[in-house]
Amino acid sequence: MSTTAVSQPIHERFQKLKDNWKAQSRHLSNVAQISLVFSYQSIIGMGPDVVPLILAELDKETDHWFWALEAITGENPVGDDIAGDMEASAEAWVQWGRKKGLLTQ
Amino acid sequence: MNLSELFPNLTPENHELTSEKTIKYNCIAWAARNTDRWWQPGVHWPIHASREDLGIGDLVLAFKSLGYHECSDEKLELGFEKLAIYGSGLMYTHVARQLPDGQWTSKLGQLEDITHSTTEALERSDYGEVVQFMKRPTGPSKHV
Repeated sequence: MSTTAVSQPIHERFQKLKDNWKAQSRHLSNVAQISLVFSYQSIIGMGPDVVPLILAELDKETDHWFWALEAITGENPVGDDIAGDMEASAEAWVQWGRKKGLLTQ
Repeated sequence: MNLSELFPNLTPENHELTSEKTIKYNCIAWAARNTDRWWQPGVHWPIHASREDLGIGDLVLAFKSLGYHECSDEKLELGFEKLAIYGSGLMYTHVARQLPDGQWTSKLGQLEDITHSTTEALERSDYGEVVQFMKRPTGPSKHV
């Protein structure tokens, strides 16, 4: 899976922030606490440019990206019937990304 | 980062890993005996709640809906199952469930489940400290 074109500096910054966030949040259970980690907030602050990178990451490994994706895009493709199901929620976002052309084969 | 770096009170003597890592469920789901959802207010929660209902009191209300009520300590009581709710500031951070032998079981975020001998084993960490104990009668009809 590849993403739509994203500049190298944005890609590198995202990778660094993502690694930091994952290291700091894997033991946390409250999504608010997970989302308040500074590196996660910094990723949200990067805005729409980072959405393809988040989606590609989500396609690779399920994680708590839903809050960031919804905050940046204003959308939420996760239906009530699968809310809380991490794998199904990730798949819903990946499919959303494909439909929007933000994830390409 | 290993567990002792995340939880300074954990030692090889006071805890044991009891599962593989998984992101399918969190500590709240585990305390409620659910292993296929990540329980979060406004997403998947036993009572109506908004995503902003993140306070310790909001978690207490959720467990009240499952038959628990507040109690004063973690002492093992025949005929009751207890929970220890952890908080940092006003926000809940973690829940541990007491086992029939008096030890505790916890799911550590998206890491493993562990059995720990005391509730203090997870304190002095990002989980803060135990701020509330709850209990409910044991018995098949009371369990989720």
